[in-house]
Amino acid sequence: MQWPATELAQPPRAVGRPMVEAIGLAKSYDDLARGKLTAIEELTFTAHAGEAFALLGPNGAGKTTALRILTTMLTPTAGEARVNGFDCITQAELVRRQIGFISTNTAVYDRMTAWELVEYFGQLHGLPDDELHARMETLFTRLEMHNLRNTLGAKMSTGMRQKASIARALIHDPPVIVFDEATNGLDVLAARALLTEVSRLRDEGKCVIFSTHIMREAERLCDRIAILHRGKILAQGTLPELREQHAEHDLEELFFQLIHEADNTP
Amino acid sequence: MNWRNVKLIWRRELRDQLRDRRTLFMVAVLPMLMYPLLGMSVFQLSQFMQTHEGRVAVIGAGDIFDAAGGVPIVEGDRFAEPLFDSPADRSRLGVTSIEARPDYDLASALDEHQAKLEAGAWDVVVFFPPTFASRLIELRAELAKPRGEAGAPRAPPEIPQPVVLYNSGRESSQVAFLRVERVLSRWRQAVVSQNLAESELPTAVTTPFEMLQRDIASADVRSGALWSKLLPFVLFVWALTGAFYPAVDLCAGEKERGTLETLLASPAERNEIVLGKLLTVMCFSIFTACLNLASMGLTGKFVMQQFAAMSPADGGLGNLGFPPFTAILWLLLALLPMAALFSALSLACASFAKSTKEGQYYFMPLFLCTMPLMLMPMSPGVELNLGTSLVPIMGVVLLLRALIEGNLATAAPYFVPTSIVTLICCWLAAKWAVAQFNSESVLFRESEQFNLKLWLRRLIRDREATPTPKLAMALAATLLLVKFFGELLMTRFAVSEPSVNFVLFTLGVSQLGFILIPTLLFAWCFTRDQLRTFLLRGSVPWRQVGLAGLLAVTLHPVGLELTRAIQLLYPLSEETKLRLVALAQAIADVPWPLMLAGFALLPAVVEELAFRGFILSGLRKLRSPSAAVGISAVAFGILHGVLQQSLSAAILGLVLGIIALRTNHLAPCMLFHATYNGLNLLYPQLAGNASAEVRKALFGDFEAKISLEHLSYRPVIVILGSGLALLLLRALVRSPAVAPAPAEAPGATRPAL
Repeated sequence: MQWPATELAQPPRAVGRPMVEAIGLAKSYDDLARGKLTAIEELTFTAHAGEAFALLGPNGAGKTTALRILTTMLTPTAGEARVNGFDCITQAELVRRQIGFISTNTAVYDRMTAWELVEYFGQLHGLPDDELHARMETLFTRLEMHNLRNTLGAKMSTGMRQKASIARALIHDPPVIVFDEATNGLDVLAARALLTEVSRLRDEGKCVIFSTHIMREAERLCDRIAILHRGKILAQGTLPELREQHAEHDLEELFFQLIHEADNTP
Repeated sequence: MNWRNVKLIWRRELRDQLRDRRTLFMVAVLPMLMYPLLGMSVFQLSQFMQTHEGRVAVIGAGDIFDAAGGVPIVEGDRFAEPLFDSPADRSRLGVTSIEARPDYDLASALDEHQAKLEAGAWDVVVFFPPTFASRLIELRAELAKPRGEAGAPRAPPEIPQPVVLYNSGRESSQVAFLRVERVLSRWRQAVVSQNLAESELPTAVTTPFEMLQRDIASADVRSGALWSKLLPFVLFVWALTGAFYPAVDLCAGEKERGTLETLLASPAERNEIVLGKLLTVMCFSIFTACLNLASMGLTGKFVMQQFAAMSPADGGLGNLGFPPFTAILWLLLALLPMAALFSALSLACASFAKSTKEGQYYFMPLFLCTMPLMLMPMSPGVELNLGTSLVPIMGVVLLLRALIEGNLATAAPYFVPTSIVTLICCWLAAKWAVAQFNSESVLFRESEQFNLKLWLRRLIRDREATPTPKLAMALAATLLLVKFFGELLMTRFAVSEPSVNFVLFTLGVSQLGFILIPTLLFAWCFTRDQLRTFLLRGSVPWRQVGLAGLLAVTLHPVGLELTRAIQLLYPLSEETKLRLVALAQAIADVPWPLMLAGFALLPAVVEELAFRGFILSGLRKLRSPSAAVGISAVAFGILHGVLQQSLSAAILGLVLGIIALRTNHLAPCMLFHATYNGLNLLYPQLAGNASAEVRKALFGDFEAKISLEHLSYRPVIVILGSGLALLLLRALVRSPAVAPAPAEAPGATRPAL
C-alpha cells in the first residue's frame, strides 16, 4: 500500500479567520487516591483557517483533555471555547458538525467495512444519499482506499484503519479537523502519509489541530505550536517566534528548557 | 431528539451485534443447542435409571413362604409377580436369595453385607432375622385359635424386624430401595389379608374404608398452573441475560475499542445514542427470551412425551400440553416493558465498565438484585393483591401467573397499578442510562488503582468543608450495617414483655450507638466544617422553625391515614403486631416528659443530624436536588426496619429533605420530626382524656371506634390538614434561607470527572 507523497515543508503563509478559540479553559476532576487533579488550566489559544496548530506536550500534559473539550465530549470547569464561532457548551451539536475528529486508536468498528463506516458517519451528519455517495467515492479515491471498501475493521492493518478513520472524519467536509496523537502506532510510511494528508488539508484551507508528543512532526508540519506541560501552555507561536523568544534554535532543546523551568518553578 | 439518528444508531448496532459470533452464540445458538442437549441427557439419565436393574440380596427368606401362609415373596431370581403392577416393573429388580446358615448371627451378617453394599456388589440387602419365620408361624397359630367368650386379650408373639440396608449416597441404591420398599409393603399387606382370611375376619378390619381421591382440576388447569409458574420466570431470566451481554459490548466494548469517542464527537446527541443502543439491547433481550422459551417448550414437550410413552400409568406430566395461545400473547405483551426495563438497567450498569471484562462482573449483582423479585412470586404464600402488584417485576410475574392460569377476572383490577409501576421503573431506568452517558466520570473513567491506605489518607488530608456524595452514601451504608448487626446482637437480650428500663436502654443504644456515634465519627474524620455539615451554622431561623412545627401538626392526620393505607396494602404480620403492641405498652408506662424526650426528641435530633445533616449535605452536591432528597429519604426509610414503617418514614423523609434543602438549617427539621413523633405518641392518650366534644370534633363518632389503636381523624380534618400543610410547605419553600448557604449550592457543582 502506498500513500501519495507530497512535500511537507511549508513556507510561511497567510492564514484565514479564527476557527478555534480557547479562552482560559480549565478542567479538573476528582481522583480516588490523589484528590482533585487539574488536567488543564488557563488554556488560551487561537487556531485559524488554513493553519496547522500543534499542541505539543509529553504524555499527561492535557492535550487529549483540551481536544475533548473542543469536541464537546467534556465540559470545561472554567473558561470558554468556540469552534467556527459556535460555543462548545451551549451550541455543542453545531460545534460537532464543524469538526472531524481522528483519535489515537483510530476508532474503527471491527465488524464494519470501511465503506459502511464512512457511510454511517455521513448519514449521522445528515448528508443526502447521492451527495454522500459521491463524496465517499471522491474520498476513497483521494485516500487510495478503494481496496478497503469491503474489508472489515478487524481485518485492517493500523495504517488502513487510520485511512478509514480519516475518511470517516472528512466525510462531512468539516472546516476544523482534530488529530489526537494520530501517528501513534503507525509505521514510518503510514505516519508520513498521514502527515502528508494533514498538510494537504491545511493547504485546502482547513484548520488543523494536531496534538503530538513528537517534536519533529510539530516542527515540520505546523504553522504554530503551543507547548503544553502539566495542563498549562508554556509557550506558543510560530517556530521562528518561539526560537526568538527563547533564544534557542532547536525545538527539542527549547522544549526541554521550558519543561525544566516549569518543573523547577514552585 | 432526532429519530433519524436513533434509527441509524439502532440499525448499526443491530448489524454489529449480528456479526458478533460471541453474542450470537450466547443469544441464539446456546438456547437452540442447550435445551435439546439438556433434555436428551435428562431423558437418557432417567431411562437409564428406569431400565437399570437393581440388585437385591435377600437373606433368610427360605422358610418364609410357608410361614406367611403361602404368600410368595421371592420366586427364582425375582420378587413374586403379584407384588408388582407390571412385568416391566418386576424385571427392574433382580434378586439373589441367600440361605441363612443355622448359626446365623445377625450382627456379623449385617457387617459382611454392609461391606458388600458399600463396594457396590448389591444395591439393597434385605435381612430376615433367623426367628422371623418361626415367630410369624406362632402369630398365625395364635390368630387361628378360636376367640374366647369373654374376648380375653391375647399376647401376640413379638416378630423381629426385617432389616433393609441401602446406600442413599448412591443413586442406583436409592432407586432400588424405593422399589424394594414398595414390594415389601405389598407383601406385608398380602400377609395381613391372608391372616385375616384364616382368622375368618373381613379385610375391613384393617382397612375399614378406602379414600376416594378426586382432583377437580382439569388437565388444562393443571398444565396452566405449572406453566404459570415456569414461563414468566424463564422468560424474564432470559430477557435479563439476553439484554446484558449485548449491553456490555455496546458500552464497555465501545469504550475499549475507542469507538465511543468518535460517536460522541458526531452530531448525534447523547440521548439519541442511548436510545439507539437501548433499542438494540431490547431487540436482543426479546429475541433471546422468545428463543429460549420456544426451545425449552419444544424440548420439554418432547421429553414429557417420551416419559409418557415409557410409563403410561404415570399420567400427569406426560399429558402436559402446550401453554394456551392467550398465555403466549400475555407473555409477549409483558415481555415488552420488562425487556425495556432490563435493557435500560443493563445499559446503565454496563456503561460504568471500562472494559468488557469489567462489564461481566456487573452481571451478578444485577442478577442477584432482580432474582428475588422473580422468584418470590413462585412461593405459595405470595398472592396477587394491590400490595404485591405494586412491587416492581414481582407484580408483573404475579399478574402473568393469574393470566396464564386463565383468571382474567382476578388479574384485571391489578393491570393498571402494575403497568404504572412498570412504566415508572422503565422510565427511571432509561433516565439512569441517559444520565450515565451524560456523566463524564462514567464515560471517561480512567483506570483507578484502589489503594485503601492512600484513599483513607486522602479522605482525611483533603477533606472538604462538607461531605462528598460518596461519603454520604458511605455513611448511609455504614448506618444500615451497624444497625443490622447491632440489632442482631441485641436480640440476645430480647424479652417478650420488655420493661420500661429495657425499652429506654435499647432506645439509647440504637439512637446513640448505632446512629449518633458513627455520624459524629464520619463528620469529625472526613469533614472540616462540622457545623456546616450538620446545617447548624448561623442563627436559628425561628420563623421557619415555627412553620415546620405547624406543618408537623397539620400533616399528622394525613400521615396517619397514609400509615393506615400502607398497613392495609401490606398487612403487618402477627409477630410484628405483637411486638409493636408490647413496645407500645412498655412506652405507655414511661412518664410522659421522659417519653417525649426519649421517643420524640432524641430520635429527632439524632436522625436529623445523620440524614438531613451529614447525608443530605453530601448528596446535595449531586446535580439533582430531587435525587438528593429522594436518596436520603430512601435511606431514612430503610433504617426503620419494618417495611410498613419504612414506607411512611421514607415519605416523611421527603418532606424533611425539602425543608432542609430550603431552609439550610437543621432546627426546622428537628422540630418537625420531634412534633410529629410526639403527636404519634400522645394522640391516643390525648384523645382518651379529651372531652367528648373535642373528641367528636376531631374524630367524629368516637364511641364507635373503641380501640384507640385504630383511631382515625374525621375526613374533613384530614382534608383541612393536608390543605393547610400544603400552604405551610409553600411558605417554607418560598421563605428566604437565613442560614448561610453552603459553598456548594445544589446544582452548582459539576460532576466530578
